[in-house]
Amino acid sequence: MSNSLIWWGIIIYTVASLFIAYLSRSGKEVSMSGYFLGNRKMNGFVSALSYSATTYSAFMMVGLAGLTYRGGVGALGFEIIYFAGVTLVAFFGPRFWLAGNKYGYVTPSEMLGDRYDNKLVAVVIAISTCIFLIPYSAVQLAGVGYLVEGMTNGGISFTTGVIIATVLAILFSFIAGIRSVMWTDSLQALMMIVASTVVVLLIIQGLGGFSGFFGSLEANYPDSLTVPGNGYWSFATFLSMTVPWLFFSLSNPQVSQRMFMPSSLKSLRGMLLGFLGFGLVYTLVSVLWGFSAVIMFPGLENPDVATPSLLSSEFVPPVLGIIVMVAIIAAAISTIDSILLTLASLFARDVYGNMKPNVSESRQLAIGKFVMPIIAIMAFAFAELQLDLIAVLSVASSAGLTVTVPAIIGTFFWKRGTATGVITSVAVSGLLVLMLELSTLKPYGLGSGVWGLLVSTLLFVGVSLLTKPPVEKAEEFVTYINTEMKKSLKSSKNANRETVNKGY
Amino acid sequence: MGKREVFWGVVSCIVILLAYIIPYTFLTNVANWYGSFLLWVGVAFVIIIINLIITKDWRS
Repeated sequence: MSNSLIWWGIIIYTVASLFIAYLSRSGKEVSMSGYFLGNRKMNGFVSALSYSATTYSAFMMVGLAGLTYRGGVGALGFEIIYFAGVTLVAFFGPRFWLAGNKYGYVTPSEMLGDRYDNKLVAVVIAISTCIFLIPYSAVQLAGVGYLVEGMTNGGISFTTGVIIATVLAILFSFIAGIRSVMWTDSLQALMMIVASTVVVLLIIQGLGGFSGFFGSLEANYPDSLTVPGNGYWSFATFLSMTVPWLFFSLSNPQVSQRMFMPSSLKSLRGMLLGFLGFGLVYTLVSVLWGFSAVIMFPGLENPDVATPSLLSSEFVPPVLGIIVMVAIIAAAISTIDSILLTLASLFARDVYGNMKPNVSESRQLAIGKFVMPIIAIMAFAFAELQLDLIAVLSVASSAGLTVTVPAIIGTFFWKRGTATGVITSVAVSGLLVLMLELSTLKPYGLGSGVWGLLVSTLLFVGVSLLTKPPVEKAEEFVTYINTEMKKSLKSSKNANRETVNKGY
Repeated sequence: MGKREVFWGVVSCIVILLAYIIPYTFLTNVANWYGSFLLWVGVAFVIIIINLIITKDWRS
């Protein structure tokens, strides 16, 4: 692809995004919930697009296509298990939303700290989140560098790509906080879904339509249509990879924080259903790209080259290829800026806010804005250094964050859970995940996420039973949520009945 | 949790379990588009329908 076309693509995307970010401003935000949660007034459609853009990083188009190329249809199963796990939002979404509105929580860890009646809970979870998510952002940044360098054959260097991504991520999160992140995310998501769907249709058409496409796979690469297939997707691998992702919507604060933001339960529903529709298309497109590469470019040494090879192929017009490439870069940025914002809110609210007594909202916000570029620059430095440890932490991020799941479930459903139980389970299991990843040990063939979740569940339950629960707070919190859940669903049923009675 | 929530929670768990089990048992030798590919796409649609039902009473 010509470098000047790619540069033009990046420039147009940057200008359009900055314009949208600028438009998204809504007066001067002085509160934490205004800047980080959009005043809890986000509508369903934008929330859905942004949720998708945040979840589906560059990993999706490059990594999932590569995973399909390497191991076949198991990659679809892996992504569908994650997709099914988002159903957790249907159960936890209204509970997060009700609790956020009542108690004014800005971060999920703040909620856990309050519910378990111990600030240290919030501090420990916030710090462990930073340990895993900063390296994850670094690897996303490095991904942009590799992609740009690869597609221009070195015409645009790795470092230039990483700098562009870092600067844009800082700008998008800085201009208007979550509002500019959500609106630029939406632009990216729309651009990606349209362009990538057109690409997949063109390629399948070029390969003889649906029957020709699958006919070729069935005849020449039958292993790619079954699991374990060529052996890549053994059941142990499938289980190890899917378990952390099954709980992603709860364990990763950059998405679970989104459950505080919708303006109403109706908007929350819009976010959930919109994401599911979008996610299914995205998943199918990525997997079909991987299959297309199996047919068109068998024998690639590095499966991550599958996507760039497809985009440069004869079936894809160069301009469309550029649009998708820019959309992939944008996908990495849309993931990083959301993480950046979430980490800044965690640091300002849960670490700084709890360490120093009586810190005002505006002071917390100032600290949050101050640390945002620092976190981005740390991620940039990690990306440039390309340390092995960073790669390990990044891979471990989904597994490392999964260890908070028992405590999150306990927040709403187990009054007997205690702060000591949460701190022990998160700290010990987080360390266990790190040790397993560093030593590349897989006891019984199972990955760190499975062990992390198992051990954290046992520790949370065991230690909680041995320690004293926050009886009063737990009773008040859980009773409030249960009563409101009944009330809000009952009142909407009554509203339905009235509508029917009135003959509308 | 109300009875309705528990019911749909159990249904969701069963669907997810089947998404793990069936491809690794009944479909290991079905190397066609209507094997694991179709099953997992079908699971995605069932999940969307379940979410539609669970959230149908959510109003503003």
